[in-house]
Formats: sequence, C-alpha cells, structure tokens
Amino acid sequence: MGMKQLSFRHSKEAQLADSINEATKKQAEELSKLSEEELFSFAEFKESEVERTGFSDYSYWGSTLRAFRKNKAAVFLVFVLIAILLFTFIQPLLPGQYDPNTINVNPETGMQYRNVPPGKQFWLGTNSIGQDLWARIWAGTRTSLFIGMSVALAEALIGITVGVLWGYVRALDFIFTEIYNILDNIPNTIILILISYILKPSVTTLIFAMCLTGWIQMARFIRNQILIIRDRDYNTASRCFGTPTWRIVIKNLLPYLVSVIMLRIALTIPGAIGSEVFITYIGLGLPLDIPSLGNLINEGRSLMMSESLRYQLVYPTIILSIVTISFYIIGNAFSDAADPKNHV
Amino acid sequence: MKKAISLLLCIIMVLGVFTSCGSGNATNDDATYRTLYSSEVSTLNYLVTSTYNDMTCGANCVDTLVEYDNEGKLKEGLATKWEYDEASMSWTFTLRPDAKWVDHTGAEVAAVTANDFVAALKYQLTPEYESANTQNLFGVIKNAEEYYKGLVYKGGADEDGKTWPEIDFSEVGVKATDDTTLVYTLGKEVPYFLSSLVYVVYLPAYAPQLEELGKEFGTDNTKMYYCGAYYMETFEPQVQHVYKKNELNYDADMVYIKTINEIYNAEAGTLAPEMVKRGELEYASIGSDILDDWLATEETKNLVSKERPSTTTSYFYCFNFDPKFDAAYEPDNWTLAVNNENFRKSLMYSLNRINPVAISEPNNPEDYIMNTVTPPTFTFNNDGVDYSQQAAFKSINAKDFFQESEALKYKDAAISELTAQGVTFPVKVLMPYNPTSDNWDKECQVVEQQMEGVLGADYIDIIIEAGPSDSFLTLVRREGKYAFMKCNWGADYADPETWTDPFYQEAGSLGYKYAFLRTAIDNNTASAATVAEYFRLVEEAKKITVDTNARYEAFAAAEAYLIEHALVVPYGISVADYIATKLNVFEGQYAAFGLSFLRYKGQHLYTDFISMEQYEKNSK
Amino acid sequence: MAKYLIKRIARSVLTLAIILTIVFILLRQMPIEGYFQNFDKLTEVQIQVGLEEMGLTDPMPVQVFNFFKNLLKGDLGVSRIYRANVPVTEVLKDKIPVSIKLGSAAMAVSLLLGLPMGILMANFKGKFFDKMGTVFIIFIQAVPAAVYYLFIQLYGTKLLGTSLLFNQNDFKAWILPVLSMSLGNIAYYGMWIRRYMVDESTKDYVRLAQAKGLPKRKIMFRHVFRNAFVPLAQYIPTAFLNTVIGSIYIESLYSIPGMGGLLVQVIQKSDNTMVQGIVLLYACVGVIGLLLGDILMVVLDPRISFGKKAGGR
Repeated sequence: MGMKQLSFRHSKEAQLADSINEATKKQAEELSKLSEEELFSFAEFKESEVERTGFSDYSYWGSTLRAFRKNKAAVFLVFVLIAILLFTFIQPLLPGQYDPNTINVNPETGMQYRNVPPGKQFWLGTNSIGQDLWARIWAGTRTSLFIGMSVALAEALIGITVGVLWGYVRALDFIFTEIYNILDNIPNTIILILISYILKPSVTTLIFAMCLTGWIQMARFIRNQILIIRDRDYNTASRCFGTPTWRIVIKNLLPYLVSVIMLRIALTIPGAIGSEVFITYIGLGLPLDIPSLGNLINEGRSLMMSESLRYQLVYPTIILSIVTISFYIIGNAFSDAADPKNHV
Repeated sequence: MKKAISLLLCIIMVLGVFTSCGSGNATNDDATYRTLYSSEVSTLNYLVTSTYNDMTCGANCVDTLVEYDNEGKLKEGLATKWEYDEASMSWTFTLRPDAKWVDHTGAEVAAVTANDFVAALKYQLTPEYESANTQNLFGVIKNAEEYYKGLVYKGGADEDGKTWPEIDFSEVGVKATDDTTLVYTLGKEVPYFLSSLVYVVYLPAYAPQLEELGKEFGTDNTKMYYCGAYYMETFEPQVQHVYKKNELNYDADMVYIKTINEIYNAEAGTLAPEMVKRGELEYASIGSDILDDWLATEETKNLVSKERPSTTTSYFYCFNFDPKFDAAYEPDNWTLAVNNENFRKSLMYSLNRINPVAISEPNNPEDYIMNTVTPPTFTFNNDGVDYSQQAAFKSINAKDFFQESEALKYKDAAISELTAQGVTFPVKVLMPYNPTSDNWDKECQVVEQQMEGVLGADYIDIIIEAGPSDSFLTLVRREGKYAFMKCNWGADYADPETWTDPFYQEAGSLGYKYAFLRTAIDNNTASAATVAEYFRLVEEAKKITVDTNARYEAFAAAEAYLIEHALVVPYGISVADYIATKLNVFEGQYAAFGLSFLRYKGQHLYTDFISMEQYEKNSK
Repeated sequence: MAKYLIKRIARSVLTLAIILTIVFILLRQMPIEGYFQNFDKLTEVQIQVGLEEMGLTDPMPVQVFNFFKNLLKGDLGVSRIYRANVPVTEVLKDKIPVSIKLGSAAMAVSLLLGLPMGILMANFKGKFFDKMGTVFIIFIQAVPAAVYYLFIQLYGTKLLGTSLLFNQNDFKAWILPVLSMSLGNIAYYGMWIRRYMVDESTKDYVRLAQAKGLPKRKIMFRHVFRNAFVPLAQYIPTAFLNTVIGSIYIESLYSIPGMGGLLVQVIQKSDNTMVQGIVLLYACVGVIGLLLGDILMVVLDPRISFGKKAGGR
C-alpha cells in the first residue's frame, strides 16, 4: 500500500520537475537566439515605461494561485479538509458528546451498550464494548491526521536539509548517493515492519518508522534539482560576488522547489494514514485506547461479514476516503497549478 | 439380484437418514470434518513443545498409557493394567500387545513396545533437544533432574553452586523389563501420578526413529510415526493438515470421524463464521462481537451452540509484591500500597467481575465467575465432596466480592494508614495486557473504568498498557513488570497442590514467578507475617500424603487464607466460547488437565449444526 | 553496452554486500530468545552452549565472514521457532513458487488491463470513459485495500460460486486474488499512460508527425506509447516485488501459502534466523529488481547513451 502511493508521487514529481526544467531551458534558448546586437543595444526612452518598477508583472506564486483557484473541486476540497481538521478539535467541546474511550453502560440493566446501531442516542452507533463510534471516529481522525502531518513535516525538514547538503556540498555526494542506493534497495514495507516491531507501539514509533525511509526520496529529489540549478549563471555570479552559500541556497534555490515540496507534503499525508492502517492490520499498530482510523477500520473488518454490524467498518472508511481523496486531488491540482506551462 | 439388494440397501439408508433427520441430528461420520486454524504449529514434535497448539497432533496421533472417557473417568489406554508397590514409588504397566506404529500413509511399521516410552523420556532429558517439559519430570521421575543437569553442567556447579555429577541413564527411574512391561520409579510419593500420564511427557515415540532423526524428529508428518486414533496424512504448513483415521489402532471402533481437515487461514476469526453459513466448514468460533447478530438472525440462530465448559484453567488477579516496572509508574509507591491489606481489599471489593466477563459472555457472565482459585468439580475427596466446596471456603463462597460500601470502607482505612507511610495518591496501578489475546484489551478498559468509578480516580490510577504480543508472560509477568494483572494457571494433575504453585515460593526460589509473595517476607514488609502464615499452611498441607480428606482440608485452609487476606483476587474459569459445530462436544474425552480435551476420538460428526437446545440436552 | 552492464552489475553486487552486512549486524542485536524454541525453559549454560554451537559468540567480523560463506553455499540457517529445526531454505522453497506464480499473474493482468485503460482514457480525454477511469483510479487510491479486498472476497465468491479460500488447482479460485492484487497497479498504469500520452500529444515531434500526415493512431502507438512505456518498464521489476510483498492482505484472506505474510509472521514469533533469511531475500530481490529495471530501460530506450548516466534512475 505504502509503496503504491509512493510511486504515484514519484511520477507526479518527475513530471513537475521536467516541466520546470523545460521552461527555464526555453527561456535560455530564446535568449540565445537573439543576436549580439539585439542583446546589447540601447533601449529607446519611453515616457510611459519610466514609472514601471519591474520589467514583468509575472509572479510565479500569483500565477500558481490563480491557476489553482480555477480548479473549483480542489478549492472546495481544501475547505472540506480544513473543516474536518477543525471539527476534530471542536467535536469534543460540543454538548452531549461521549468520550471516545468511555464504555457506556445502560443504567437500567447495568450492561454495556454493545453494538447499538446508529440512532438518536449514539449517532453512529457503538462498538462491541459500548464505546461511542461518533466520538471514536473523530478522535481517530485527529490521531491519523496528526500522524500524517507529522510524518510529512519531518520528511520535508530532514529531506530538504539533507538534499541541500547533498546537492551543494560536492564532498558529500558520494556518501549520500551510496546511502540512497542502499536505503532505496530495501523495500519500504520491510523497513516499516521491522521498525514497528523493534520499538514499542506508540504514535511516536509510527511516525519514526514512516519517516525513516520517506526523507531519502525527498532529499534525492532536492539534490537533483539543486545539481541542475546550482551552476546556472546567476548562481555562479552570486558566488563570485562572495554571497555565502547558505544565502544562495535559501534565496535562489529553495523558492524554486517550494511547489514540489508542497506537493510532496500533500501526498505524504494520505500515504502515512494508509500506512497506519497497514501497520495496524499486521498487528503492530497503536493500542486500542488510542483511537485511530487504522484501529477503527481494523476493528470494523472483523465484523464485516455481519451485515447489521457493517456500519462499524463503513463510517471510518468513509472519513478516511474523504481525507485521502481530498489530499490527492488538492495535491494534483496544486502541482498542475505550480507547473509554469499552465501559467500562460 | 445383487443389484436389487444394493438398491434396497440404498433406499433403506436414504430412508434412515430422513427418519433420523426428523428426530433430530443424524451422524455422518464419513464426511470430512473441516475447520480453520489461524496459527500454524511450530513443530509436530510433541516431546519438546509445551503449547496446546503444537500438541494437537500428538494428542490425536499418539496414545497414552491411560486415558479419560467423556465423563472424566480414567480407563485403560496403551496399558491394560498397572500396579504399584506398597510405598507407591514404583509403578509397573503392562502394555497391550496389539498396539502398532503406522507411518503417514497408515501402513504398519512396528509394534509399540515399552522401550518406546523409555526412549521418549530419554529424548526429553537430553538437553540438546531443548524440551520445554523437563520441569514436569524433575522430582517426579527418579533421577530425571540429576541426569539432565549432569549433562548440562558436566559435573560442574549451577548458578546456585550446587554440583551436578554426570550419571548414567540407567539410573533414571524408567525401565523396559520386556516388550510389554514398563516400570516407572518415582523420586517422591506422587498421589496424582496416574492422572499426569495423559500429558505429552509420557507419550511414547518409536525408538529407532527417534535415534535416527534426533533434532529433526517431528519436523513434518513424514518424520514421525503414529500409534493413536489418527495419523497425519498431509502436513502442508500454512495450507492444511489432514488427519485420517488409523484403522490399525487397537481402539479403532471408538474412532468415528474418518477424516479431519484443518485448513489454515490467518483471518479465521472473520472468515470461519461466513464459511459455516456457506456450508464450507463444520466448525467455527462465534466471537462475542458478532454473537448477538447471529442469535438474532433466523438463518443463523440455530447454528450456535457452546464449547464444553472447561475447568482446566483458573483466572485470578495477582498483586505484584516485587514490582520491576519503570520508575514512571512509581514501583516504590506501589510496593508500600500493595503490602497494606486494606488497600488490597479495597481493590478486591471494588472489582465487579461481571462487567469484564460480559465482554466474552454477554448472556450468563455470572456462570464463569468463581470465588476460589481452584475451579469447581476439579477434584473430590473420599466422601465425594467437591474440593471447592470445602468447609473452609464457606464464607468466601457465600457472596460476591463486589460490594461498594465494603470497598469504600477499606479505601478509607487504607488512605489513613498509607498516608502515614508517605504513599502518594492516586496510586498508579500498572495493568498490562497481551494485545493478541482476544478481548483482553477491552476487558482492561472495562476494569479500569469500573474500579476507578467505584474508588475514585484520586485513589487509584489504573494504567493499561499493551505488552509485547510475543513472549508476553516471560517479558511481563515473569519479569515482574506489572502491578495488578489478570493471570491464569492450569492444573498439572488432579490434586489441590497444583493450585498452590503460582503463589507458593520456596525460600530462595522464584517458583513460577507470579505474585512474588516471597519478596514480602524477604523485605520484611507490612504483609510479611500474612504471607509467612500462608506459606506455613501450604507446607503443612503438603506433608499430609496418605489421608486424602485431611490433605484437601489443609489445602483448602491455605487457599481460604490466601483469599481472605486478599493476596489474590479470584476471577473465574475460561469462558466457554460460542461456536458453530457439528460435533457433540460432550462425547469427547474429558479431564481437567493434560491433553484429553484435544482429542477427536469418541466424537461423532452430525449432519447438522448443534443448536443450543440440543447442546442443553447433550449436556445432561 | 557490455561495459555499462558490467559496471552496473558490479555496483549492484557491492550494494547488495553492504546491505547484507548491515542487515546482518542489525539483526544480531535482536534478543537471543529468537534463537531458541523454548528459551524460557533453558538454563544459562544450555543457552551459552547453544549460542556457541550456532557461532553467535564469535567476534562480529568472523560471524559476518561465516555468514557470507554459508550464504554462498545456499545455507540460510535453521528456523528455531516458526518451524522448529527446519532449514530456512526448506521453508522458503515451498512458498516462493506460489508467490511468483501469483505475482506474475497479477502483473500480467495489471499490464493487460492498465495499459489499454490508460490509452483509451487518453484517447477519449474528457469523455465518459475518461471520467469513469478517473473515478476508478481515485476510488482505488482512497479506499484502503484492507477494506475493498474484503468486499471483493465476500461478494466475488458468491458471484463466482467459488469457495472463500484459495485452491491452487482450481482456475476459478485464482480470479479474485489475482484481480484484487492487480487493482492498485491497474490504476497506477492507467493513470501513468494517460497522463504521459496527454502531455506528449502537444509535443513538437507529434505535431511534426501530424503535419507529415501520419494517422493519429499510428503516432500514438508507434511513438507516444513507446516513449511512455519505457519508464514504466523500468518500474516493472520493482513493482513485481512490491506486489509479492504487498500481497499480505490477499494471502491472509484467501489462505494462499505464499511469501506475503511470512515476514510479519516470523517477526511476531521472533524467529531471528527466519527474519534474517527473509529480509536478505527481499534485499536481494530489491537490488536485482532495480538492476533489471535499469537494464530493461537501456534495452528499450534508444535515447539512452552509455556511460554518462548519473545515479540509478
């Protein structure tokens, strides 16, 4: 599961990188077509041009945003995601909510509310020991989103740092390339399984295990881009003027990569949530008293064969699917929007 | 003419089936009994394993010297008669001459001889083979421990400084005087010796094969021979096991089901019930989470019955007197608290056991709760009195432990006493569970909420924690990494002494590493005197060997003392699972220990699933 | 070409050696319980003797050397817990063919269905078929495999009238597991091909071909599809490996005796030698997969020039 999503991500990135490179190449080509005279000739004085401060009103970010806004579905899903995220925090504060871990006991019989179907008292029903599914789903979504976002952020941070070093410091290239070759050769799933096994199950363990391999892809990508951009003339010029390396990296290189980084983050989150489901399935996931979408789906799976209990599987799956679809569509829309080809 | 007769026979048979269908449930022994299993055995070598999962093959494919019938009465097995000397230290068994070893195709290999028992015992006492069951032999079979440890330490000293000279196997208390005469010599008087014979340690194995294969014995179905009710025709790990009836078995007339097919599926819990509905299986366990649904649905409600209630295992909550868990859970604070009797009692009286049991058995949870450690009907004294109903248990059995007012009374007393000792409240109570045990996680959640609800979260703070799924007992219980946890113990033999094993620790020994009661004495804690008194009572009881009634009375007194002083909180017996089965579970061999319950011998396969009604009828 | 191949293979062997050494040393840090069937019941002395017999008390370099020596002989050690006293190779021997058969079938199905789907989607861009395809792809991405596999099994077996469980000798029993396993890759290939073909269709060379009057279909298949397929081909060996490992769900659901769930099982039983053997196997297959992918790409793509290639892929 994890691998499949990674591959989707790979192709998307490669495509984006290609078009960015192509666009810059074209610019350079067009410039070189001009003859010496055309390049170095006096410009006429134009009254109207005097007040203009820049030479172009093209702004990469402005265009990206504009292109993104055109995709109505993606914009809508951004709001859906924000709403879901906010609601996971608001839900416990609403009146009349149950605690996700409390086992609800029927005061009349003294027995637990087991497998109560969705209804007035429990909106989405209860599970087999009488915990409120509505509360568990929201708590679970919170946990899963937290895991996803932490993984994405950590991956981005480590990936960018290492990638920049790797690409910019020639001495490190060999070492990092070898590390990459090694890590990339062991299937991700295996590393995920091994780490989750060696460490005790907890949210931190899961995040750690998922970050362990993800950053290398990010670093590799950044490194490749930096190699391409590093020796462009304007950077060589900067270096000649004595601009410190870190400044070149931050000012000249990173902005170039932001769109790709954002895309990666957007696609890592659903990937991590999916991995959590997988890890839970193989029995190395979070304990039951930390509700997560993986836990809920796994619990629901065992009831799947009984039609009247299937709601316990369906509801968590729906929320997980909405979150996943949203991130994918937003990520794709964003990468399309960030593609300079689409800015014309 | 012949045709006509066979036609007639056919008609009669068909009619027979119909009529018996009308009257209930006919037998259909020629059909295959199919069942799913979700955990593959790690070996078929019954001589080295201590898990019931691995023993299933040994139990069904190898006969024991004696065996139990379906009512729990001991009867002859491979041995047709046995006698013992006056001191009951030397037991002589006469084997039946017609017992045969067969291979995995059911073809005869050789006769079962007394030497096969000797070789099997020697195999287990060979350290190289790493048998898990040597403890069961130590102290029982004469010189077993001496021989084994002699080989381990080669005349050197063990961790405690005791030297173990190497001795010859001929000094070990097992002899084949001729092909059909087997003599066991015991190391001490063992009142329950006969009952302990129905366990893997006393199973035979074909001597020449053991010799030849060594470590490889039992690694698959071609690397062992069979002398029991079945032989294993096919062993494809993680695919299936096929058992066929052994027609050459001396007791083949008592073996009804012809073919047993155990099919592997990692998600058996989810799939088996569905496969039962589709007629693809003859057995499935119906988990408590889908039970209500099955009972409510017309199509499935008559498919559900129950497992035979088993009193093999007793569950109880242990207090850990030697906590070794992380400082974050405040082990020192816990040590002070747990040595206070009022504190322990407040926990004992606040636990409503109905709630956690109801998770597995929502309908009659109270049937599975008991107030003693020893389960009912475990053993009877010479007057036929159930051990668990001894006079000493009268007040304990009188009413349920759960009483809020009592709990709060003890709580107040404990607070005033413990505050003086500097105990901080809430006392952290670490309660680990094994995530792979069905429902244990849920039970812990229920117990936590229920007990904290009664006593207040400012008094105790129960912390439930998932332990490692593998080697849970080794890493958690035996390491002392818990404060208050559900533990269990299964009888090794038919004598109440077996139920003192989890609690009694000889000086300088950790015993089976349950509650670590000895630590209370060693550290001279507030409960040292109480524990010492319990140990004294156990030691007194062990000394009585001849007078059964007196022996039982003495053990009952010790156990009652243990419970009255809340050194343990009795919990219950294993919940009889709800199942869908075409077997009458009451036809199987029955005993409270050993491997009898694993055997298919004596059971018929029926055409229909047993309904609850039939189950009730069968149980009478 | 030959020079590139030799260099590439040499690098793979080196990488493999490093991975194996690291994994070996890492796994040696696991608790020694995993080397004994009944660790609980053994005395200190026995454990010590056992460890010595297995060569686990030697200094690490010696252990590594012995490990490679045995590996070359095809000896992966003996399982202690998962299947006590059975050689690891013996255990794997029965399982690998099943996984390869199943994996190949799934691979073939996903290529046979995924590629045409992508081509057709690109061809009818924006039309009904394209939209249906997109819905399918999004569905596969969004719904956890753990969930839709179960539904396929439950209703698929009813529909086909087959048993819930797998049976090697029954063709019908192969359909659902293979189909379930391929769904993810069908979606992936479909998406990839569609995207690539749509993007390429505006490229200069396509325009040139159009200007020259070549029929659209011919352009699409001769040129565009071939270009799109090359990077995909590189991914196939790795994808195959992932299909095999990723079949944990399918294998557990249908009781298929393959490799998929094996690693998880031996991990849960902490059988150290088995864990080691399987991780090694996967690492080997992973390295070989990448190697094959690169070679495949070189063979298929005339644009690749030798010697200048930086990095792996």
